[in-house]
Amino acid sequence: MKVNKNLLRDAGERVLLTGNEAIARGIIEAGAGITTAFPGTPSTQILDNLGPLAHQLGFHAEHSVNEAVAFEVAAGAALAGVRSVMVTKMLGVNLISDPLLVIAITGVNAGLVVVTADDPGQHSSQNAEDTRYFGMLGKIPVLEPMDGQEAKDMTKYAFELSEELQLPVFVRITSRICHSYFDVTFGEITPPKREGHFEKDPKRYVMISTLSRARQPILTEKINRAAVINESNPWNKVILIDKGEITTKTNPFKTEFGIIASGLTYPYVEEVLEKTKISAKVLKLATTYPLPKQLLNDYFKGLEKVLIVEECEPVTEMQIRAFAQREGIEVIIHGKEDQTMPRIGELNPDLVGGGIEKLFKVKFSEELTKPYLEVEAMLTKRVPALCAGCPHRASYYSIKEALRKNKKGGVILGDRGCYNQGVHEPIAGIDTCICMGASIAMASGMYQSGVKEPILAVIGDGTFLHSGIPSLLNAVQHRSKITVIIFDNSITGMTGHQPNACTGRNLMGDPTPEVDLADIVNGLGIENVKVVESFHTELLQDTITRHLEDDGPKVIISRGECAILAGRERRITKEKVTRARVAVETCTGCKVCMKKLGCPAFGWSSSGENEHLVILPNCNGCALCVQVCPKLAISIPMEKQIPLKTKQVVAGR
Amino acid sequence: MNIIICGVGGNGVILTTRILAQAAINEGFNVRIGASHGLAIRGGTVVSYLRIGSDAKGVIMPQRSGDILLAFEPLEALRQMKLMKDNAKVLLNNEPYIGVDAHLGLSKYPEIEEIISRLSETQELVEIEASKLAIKAGSQVMTNVVMLGSLASSKELPIKRDTLLNTILDMVPPQTVESNKRAFEYGEQAFHEKQN
Repeated sequence: MKVNKNLLRDAGERVLLTGNEAIARGIIEAGAGITTAFPGTPSTQILDNLGPLAHQLGFHAEHSVNEAVAFEVAAGAALAGVRSVMVTKMLGVNLISDPLLVIAITGVNAGLVVVTADDPGQHSSQNAEDTRYFGMLGKIPVLEPMDGQEAKDMTKYAFELSEELQLPVFVRITSRICHSYFDVTFGEITPPKREGHFEKDPKRYVMISTLSRARQPILTEKINRAAVINESNPWNKVILIDKGEITTKTNPFKTEFGIIASGLTYPYVEEVLEKTKISAKVLKLATTYPLPKQLLNDYFKGLEKVLIVEECEPVTEMQIRAFAQREGIEVIIHGKEDQTMPRIGELNPDLVGGGIEKLFKVKFSEELTKPYLEVEAMLTKRVPALCAGCPHRASYYSIKEALRKNKKGGVILGDRGCYNQGVHEPIAGIDTCICMGASIAMASGMYQSGVKEPILAVIGDGTFLHSGIPSLLNAVQHRSKITVIIFDNSITGMTGHQPNACTGRNLMGDPTPEVDLADIVNGLGIENVKVVESFHTELLQDTITRHLEDDGPKVIISRGECAILAGRERRITKEKVTRARVAVETCTGCKVCMKKLGCPAFGWSSSGENEHLVILPNCNGCALCVQVCPKLAISIPMEKQIPLKTKQVVAGR
Repeated sequence: MNIIICGVGGNGVILTTRILAQAAINEGFNVRIGASHGLAIRGGTVVSYLRIGSDAKGVIMPQRSGDILLAFEPLEALRQMKLMKDNAKVLLNNEPYIGVDAHLGLSKYPEIEEIISRLSETQELVEIEASKLAIKAGSQVMTNVVMLGSLASSKELPIKRDTLLNTILDMVPPQTVESNKRAFEYGEQAFHEKQN
């Protein structure tokens, strides 16, 4: 466990931090007692940074089994009067919305903050949803910082706001804030308080319909009060820009043009105005829900047209439009709805400049002249691949070989994790990837709908624990003829190796029971569970083939250690890897290895007498290519191969 | 000043950017680093933007506003061309990483000569054999330090040579200080040889 000492620097120090680290510091400064998350890019490192500090500073930190659980743990603390925070990427908000929208009605007794990271441009997500809609849906205030300093300070403030309103509060960031670095000046650390006490009050906490109905007016009153509090939020600022330059002189400054910018788009706006020398009254809006009405009434005075700049969806824009109509303000509103700004993708200075160019006769973006455009046309994206030595490659290889030899086709329902890189050629091992845990239930649906081909679901251990368990139980109850293959490396790999219930420790470094997936599967009513080592491809293929025809759901656990972790261990133990060797005279250049495995340790030599495979230094010695080469041209001496630990099928445990 | 640092996963793009940013902070400048990484570790494209002084505004740079490109890989250098001003300084580690996808024809890796000629057409290109020099200094891991040595020699940076070197030595494991210093000096020499 690595402690990030930067987060413990003294108040007043100026430190270079990622947005994620800045928020972690904000949580520490607020003295939160309970901190939870489920790993998800881009916000994973907030809890990754908090976990190793938890015991030292006296708070609790966990990567919970899934987002809903993470939120409910935090909510329990907040009802017991302990400050708590739940961190999630935007997709996790879909899961927490169920408890969140009811906790909004009960209210909280200590600050409950939800940090949600949206992913405009979809750097690492399967959609680009805007979680601010959930603020409006649940009457939960939304704060939007523009940089690392604000991210830290507003996170701390969010606890205070939550306590003032007795309502959960969202801090909404975007992936670019999470991963970018900012210089951040630190404040004082508040020691966390964890003396929870739950004061019973069924009328408030037992949300059956009659009791919940009675509390609805309280929630409405709270969100109305939030709008009033937001009037004096210190991060809402009106900035006057006179021909590109910030001015404090209100006289003789005059413009009919306004821009409302939220989040990290504000600096883009400043940069565009500076270069195009346009005058504007800019509102940097930190409280995007609920809107501060008086502030907006004052702001709109004298303005004839306003451009709204925000990431993802036109959430502020829709509210501003409604506000202007309600208040009888005559103003033209430009933004995403009239396509002045793009609604799809991540904003940047050029796109903001493009919006300004549509409204004024100015030019912001430097032109891409011919040589630059020609270069753009030459570029193709690199195809991401599973790591060299990744056991998932061996699992996919075995599945595809088993289906090929079976000659009845096959549908492979995929899930969320490293292994969804298996979609790319040449592995092309999955046919769907929808959301965490969808593979097994959708496989059942395909079976029940009459799909005749063999139906398989592939899911990792972390995802199975997250939401695969209920789906498998459902498949048992309805006797769905599906074959589930759990890719088990006993850790949440994709997001950077966060511990899960299979790992044997928690985020704070405490030892925990190593939950065996085979036991869980047995417990769900599937007696015939097979555990096979991923690199034992012959056995894995054979096991899959034999299972395909059996009725009901079958589970095979394909077990192998994450290649990145194995590499790290070897660096500590100074154990050397024996890389695969290519017998140049035997290799015919058939590329079967490449076409079947697509390992990033494969290079190619076309110089010399014959074309042949070259093994690159990133080879991890897994010897999968040794098993696959039809000419036996690749080798690793048997005694140097990484030994297979579980060679036999474990049946009927 | 706008500096772009690019490469593929494993090149140390983010660490290099942090070193440069810390050195700039040590010289009293404001900085911003724009970064986003999803699949960095899996051989994908990695790029970060370092904005120093009066340019330290948004975390994303406008196109054609880059002053310096520090590229650990030729194709990745080409990918960032649209961010560069005409005649900007491009320091290139001329060691291509051709993924298995390109060997299979799933993506296209241009001829290295083509990449060099395209880069030279609009930019001031300096090729550095940084990977090879890093191996000579002790390990390929120090490729980025070789590149930083070359960058220090280029006199393009508003950061003093010793400030940069000391920042690097502060941020690397103590037992590697000597070899990192050597790597930095190899980078300096390589740049001077190119200029002569």
